Amino acid sequence: MVATKHHKNRIELLQGTLDLLILETLRWGPSHGYGISQALRAQSADVLCVDAGSLYPALHRLERQGLVRAEWAISENKQRTRVYRLTPAGRQRLAGERSKWEQLSAAIESVLNRTRPSES
Amino acid sequence: MRLPLWRRRQDEELDEELRSHLQMAIRDRVERGESLQQATDAARREFGNVLLVKETTRDMWGWVSIEQLWQDLVYAGRALRRTPGFTTAAVLTLALGIGANAAMFSVVYAVILRPLPFPDADRLMAINGLVVRDAGQVSPSASSSWPDYFDWRAKAQTFASLSAYHDTNFTVTGLGRSQHVPGAIVSAEFFATLGVAPSLGRAFRREEEHAGSNVIVVSDQFWRSQLGMSGDAVGRTMMVNGRSFTIIAVMPAGFRFPITFPPPELWTTIAEDAQVEEPGDTPMTAQRGAHFLQVIGRLKEGVRESAARAELETIASALAQQYPEDNAGRSVRVVPELEAVVGSAKRPLLVLLAAVACVLLIACVNLANLMTARGTARQRELALRMALGASRYRVARLVLTESLVLAVAGAALGLVAGSWLVRLLVHLSPTNIRGLDEVSMDAAVLVFTAAIALACGLFVGVAPAMRVTRSQPRQDLSETRTTAGRSQRRLLNALIVVETALGVLLLAVATFLVRGFDRLTHTDPGFDPSHVVTLRVGLPDSRYTYLKKVAFFDELLPELARLPGIEAVSLVAPLPLGGSRFGVSFDLPGRTARSAAERLSAEFAFVGPDYFRAMRIPLRRGREFTAADGDDAPRVVVINEAFAQQYFPGEEPLGKRIRPGLSTTEDETPWREVVGIAGNVKQQTLNERVKPLYFVPYAQGMITTPHIVLRSAGPPEAVPESARKLIAARDPELAVFDVRTMDEYFGRVVASPRFTTLLLMLFAVLGVALSAVGLYGVLAYTVVQRTHEFGVRFALGARPRDVVRGVMGGAFALVGSGLLVGVVASMALNRALARTLDFVQPVDAAAYPIVALVLLSVAAVAAYTPARRAARVDPVTTLRAG
Repeated sequence: MVATKHHKNRIELLQGTLDLLILETLRWGPSHGYGISQALRAQSADVLCVDAGSLYPALHRLERQGLVRAEWAISENKQRTRVYRLTPAGRQRLAGERSKWEQLSAAIESVLNRTRPSES
Repeated sequence: MRLPLWRRRQDEELDEELRSHLQMAIRDRVERGESLQQATDAARREFGNVLLVKETTRDMWGWVSIEQLWQDLVYAGRALRRTPGFTTAAVLTLALGIGANAAMFSVVYAVILRPLPFPDADRLMAINGLVVRDAGQVSPSASSSWPDYFDWRAKAQTFASLSAYHDTNFTVTGLGRSQHVPGAIVSAEFFATLGVAPSLGRAFRREEEHAGSNVIVVSDQFWRSQLGMSGDAVGRTMMVNGRSFTIIAVMPAGFRFPITFPPPELWTTIAEDAQVEEPGDTPMTAQRGAHFLQVIGRLKEGVRESAARAELETIASALAQQYPEDNAGRSVRVVPELEAVVGSAKRPLLVLLAAVACVLLIACVNLANLMTARGTARQRELALRMALGASRYRVARLVLTESLVLAVAGAALGLVAGSWLVRLLVHLSPTNIRGLDEVSMDAAVLVFTAAIALACGLFVGVAPAMRVTRSQPRQDLSETRTTAGRSQRRLLNALIVVETALGVLLLAVATFLVRGFDRLTHTDPGFDPSHVVTLRVGLPDSRYTYLKKVAFFDELLPELARLPGIEAVSLVAPLPLGGSRFGVSFDLPGRTARSAAERLSAEFAFVGPDYFRAMRIPLRRGREFTAADGDDAPRVVVINEAFAQQYFPGEEPLGKRIRPGLSTTEDETPWREVVGIAGNVKQQTLNERVKPLYFVPYAQGMITTPHIVLRSAGPPEAVPESARKLIAARDPELAVFDVRTMDEYFGRVVASPRFTTLLLMLFAVLGVALSAVGLYGVLAYTVVQRTHEFGVRFALGARPRDVVRGVMGGAFALVGSGLLVGVVASMALNRALARTLDFVQPVDAAAYPIVALVLLSVAAVAAYTPARRAARVDPVTTLRAG
């Protein structure tokens, strides 16, 4: 069970961050589901591996919310596939989510790096 | 899988999208140098369960819930079709339970809950009189007097309008044969209070309340049948009670108030009561002590019931101070009109509703039993579904859907059964209950049925569904059961005990009722009702003064007595078991009351000569009245035994004198001598305590239209017609009405208890039968489950008799516990039931042996077949199979 071992080195995504990552990936240009998962893996140096069981529900949910738009296209390998692109609403949401994320991570960081009074 | 059309395309697209993902992954791996086989396997593994991915993705589409529901329904339907025996049993059980409930509820709704058919009917209040006697004892006297009403009407601010009325009968002549028509005498604002306008013409005006106005309103029915639906009916005149009335309005079809049986056809004003026979007499409208009115009021918008009650109580207490002689101790009671109309019909119906709910509960427990047994059988199938990737939640939902499908099917069939049962109920029910003629399976009943079906589905389905969510697929898949699981069996056993206890409860209540009813119908009413016909003749006041009325009966009664086959003839009012009772005050020597509240009061009746012989009421002492006890003869009374005991204890009543507050002329209330003592007679109901009553000869106190009673030697069928001819020969304009045998009155008195008893018996039979079926089902199931065990036992030398004894013993242990629980519960219920239904005895210990006997025999029958089957288990076959 190679896959299982592999999984152990990975970090579970926080609830809601997957949406942010998908939207961010799509900011660089339209892509299909496989492309998005590959891009995420590459950008995170193999740390983030989104499985299909999370990716596709997320994509379809974003589509339903009008944040991405999907259409059928032919891939670079002449493969008919479904390609997602960011809508203006998606772009706006991305900006919002990004700033929220930055606040959150800054906050978490400051908590983690604080010297505890009792120890000083 | 069958998907709805609209969804298929989207589903195919998702398939293609996921396929392209896999293919791209494989291509990438191949390009990196893996073999095609390796690449495919790795990509598949990485992708995970395609079905699960599809399922979760589909969840995002929004109509998932609808679609999954569809799937669940398809699965449930398929699963149910695979087990037709189970499905049929379940649906039939539920259909019986739900059908009986739907039918009973439609009756309850029509009688108790459905608002009166008037606009803003919740603002209509009944205002009843109330008498607070010396000892603080409150006796509801529903009626009020005209002067009291006039004061309320003038002073009350909380009511938009306040109207008084009393039902009466009119004699209509000149439209074919003279007829007796039911109707009412009402105050001017009657129709406005109810909020109903005539369909033709106009309502009464206040000035038409004065004597001599002679205006009348007719019902739609009367207009159709008697006036030929003529468009110019309004303005025409017709002869009513011997006088000419002008028709001023026709009421819309379906208008019915007061609620009488049969419904009123004519309405006229107070003017009728404002008339006097002799100049100088006091009309009814001026007699503050004459209580015979009903009052209905419409609350002003936004006024609370309590505010109206407080106001009227204040007015009443002011009146009591102002007129102590008539009003001391009198108060009022304000209740919603609907409550007043429903009256005593409410309690028996609620008891029946509770009983039928009990039946449904048994049906549900039964079904829960079946589902649990079935759940065990399906354990493997469900475990397999979960192993294949279905979530626990989905599988649980599937199980729940199944029970809901059963419930819906049961409800649908139940509605069919219910609509049939409703007709039966209405047919069986006593006729004088409002709303019963309008019982139907309408929207409210459908909503109710849907609600109980849903509740049943949940009740039945939740336990098996919960089991699924707790189960261990791997264990369930591998396990082969040889004996039933312990927790499983414990649940089934508990359900059997509950079911039996409910069945016992129903059976016990039914037995209380049957025994109570039996006692009721065997109660001696104090007279012999067989072979007695009664009828009434309306003598219009306009042509018959008091003395002429007396003379009319003086001549008629001997003539009737001469008819062939007649044994005795007399007259009486109020008729025993006829529905009404008169209370008239009286004084005893040396005890003269100063106020109304202090005055002694007893029941009163006026009768003709030969009355006690005609009714076969035993005369204990003294004599009957004779034709000699006329208006000019010395005043006399006959008292009943209860009167003698209460007012002349240990004394000789004969020759004593009493003075009833009753006179035929204005001022004279003479002392009367007691000349006879008669046996006690039940006046209104068979289970009442007999009250003191005194009789006077009709010539000395005829205050209303009497009932003529005729005792015939043979069957009384021909009597009314020959009597009618005789009466018509004397005066062709007279209407003969209320022609009934005494047996009919007797039947009416027991109609409501009979209805309640009959239905409760029906429900008890249903309930016990259902619990027997449940017992049978569980035993049969357990026997099948234990086949292997029995095989082993036989192989080890057990005899068939031992096994039968074992199975039966187990069954009786369960039934016995149920019996015990049920008996304890019904003992607790007995007293409450007796308070609710007056013919039930508060402690009826003799009922329990009957209940136990019936239940145990039913249980024995239900348990016997499975036990026999267990005894026939062939050890060789079962052991090989195991």
